[in-house]
Amino acid sequence: MPNGPDGAPNLVVENVSKRYGRKPVLERVSFKLAPGEVYALAGPNGSGKTTLIRLVTGLAFPTSGRVLMLGENIHEGGYAVRRYLGAVVEAPAAFYPYQSGRANLERLAWLSHVENAAERIRDVLFGLELVAVADQPVGSYSLGQRQRLGLAAAILARPKVLVLDEPTSGLDPDGIQKVHEILREQARAGVSVLLSTHHLREVSAYTDRVGILGGGRLIDEVVMEGASERYRLRVSEPGRALAVLQTLPFVEQAQLKGDVVVARGPVDEMVRALVEDGHRVYEVSADYFDLYEYYRERIKHA
Amino acid sequence: MLRFITWEVVKMLHLRSVRLGLAAAFVLPIIWTLAPGLKQAYGLVLVSGWQVPSLALLAGMEFLYPFLVAMAAAEVLGAEISMGTLKPLLLRPLSRTRFISAKLVAALAYPFLVLATSLLAALLAGLPHGLGGFFGGTGLGAGGFAGVGFLPAGAAFAEVLRAYFYAGLTLLPIAALSLMFTVWFSSTTAAALGAIATVLLMRLLIVFPALKPLLLTTYLDLYLRPGDWVMGLSLLLIYTVGFGLLAVLLFERKDV
Repeated sequence: MPNGPDGAPNLVVENVSKRYGRKPVLERVSFKLAPGEVYALAGPNGSGKTTLIRLVTGLAFPTSGRVLMLGENIHEGGYAVRRYLGAVVEAPAAFYPYQSGRANLERLAWLSHVENAAERIRDVLFGLELVAVADQPVGSYSLGQRQRLGLAAAILARPKVLVLDEPTSGLDPDGIQKVHEILREQARAGVSVLLSTHHLREVSAYTDRVGILGGGRLIDEVVMEGASERYRLRVSEPGRALAVLQTLPFVEQAQLKGDVVVARGPVDEMVRALVEDGHRVYEVSADYFDLYEYYRERIKHA
Repeated sequence: MLRFITWEVVKMLHLRSVRLGLAAAFVLPIIWTLAPGLKQAYGLVLVSGWQVPSLALLAGMEFLYPFLVAMAAAEVLGAEISMGTLKPLLLRPLSRTRFISAKLVAALAYPFLVLATSLLAALLAGLPHGLGGFFGGTGLGAGGFAGVGFLPAGAAFAEVLRAYFYAGLTLLPIAALSLMFTVWFSSTTAAALGAIATVLLMRLLIVFPALKPLLLTTYLDLYLRPGDWVMGLSLLLIYTVGFGLLAVLLFERKDV
């Protein structure tokens, strides 16, 4: 259960369903985000990611279920609940094209009641490397600059929950790196980050959990912590070694991949058990968890 | 709220349809004073600059001004939807009711803006014909263009101002209706067409005499009929408030 130090998650999505007419788009989706946690939503096009993002941010209303942001219902609790929220729900982020980036942020800061707005705007523009273009009309911005301005707008009011739909879409490699750095920073500062992405390998380095959506349902949730504690064991008689490992209580998962046994668990104890059973252990290496491969497998069998 | 409304009005003035509408409202009276067929169309030979505003009003209120108002009111919200700026605004701690109410006020201000522009252009176009007192009528008071004797400049101006003000009031329900349709359809074009179609349909419904006093189109020429002001304005107010409230209620639970 992902809870913060005080036991309260920043975001609770509880049995949220959405139908358009008779067509279900989301069905009973539930998850929670603790402060500082990064949760990535993955799924093929049409799986309901964007709808879920719109529901979580209060832009759309669920057919059933509820979304709580710092304990307050985002749909019923009044507009003030959104003071904790920072979000970019479209790529590229939209602004008034005839106004400068700074003027757009000033207006948003006013709507969000940001204190010391000028200073804060300067900080976020600096952080997103937009100072040079800050006073130019947004209409003249490149796609990447608009995306970064979107992120600047999202973190402007120091949110506690950050929701981003495809935050790296349209960015060059440097821009992508910058966005990831900022998301990590935000998470370290205690902000709960929910993002939808197709770029699973990019985000797997700092994501705590990945929710896989398929057909409007949350079909799997991968906890990334510990996902890398898998080992590839090249041993004599791999078939028999697999059977041995599967009997051990501390081995969470074991499978045969070709001639190699892949197992999750404490590596020293697994090797000791195999040696005691008379196996020769030729090689032990970490089996890096490939989120993208896992996702593909999961979607294929959903 | 005042700052918010001001912001909405400023945003509205950036809209292309609004600027085009204001340009059309400015050009129309000038073209009208130069039109060679005025005598055939209205049986009128201009004897005073004070008659130009009524010409602009008679010509514009027939279709142009209702159309411009429907278009602009639809775009007040429709442009935010098409530019993608609606969602970022609603992600802020901002009441939806407050947001759409400010849009409604901006949309309701637009008819007066169009008419003020038209009046300004009409007075400028009327300058060569003189804006002093004259024998005749403005076309907006007793006696029509023929008048009832000498009309002092001040009285003529008062007649024109009053007529433009009432013309503005008659356009308010169209603005509110168009905004309500935008909330409903999330599309500028569909909303403007919906509002115009409703107005045209109401015009056709005059074949049902019992309905006629209740149709908002019955009162689009209210500025010419001072006797019906009480009934007309009450009904237009009900329409405006009704459409406005519907827009607010629909928007409160609208998926965006």
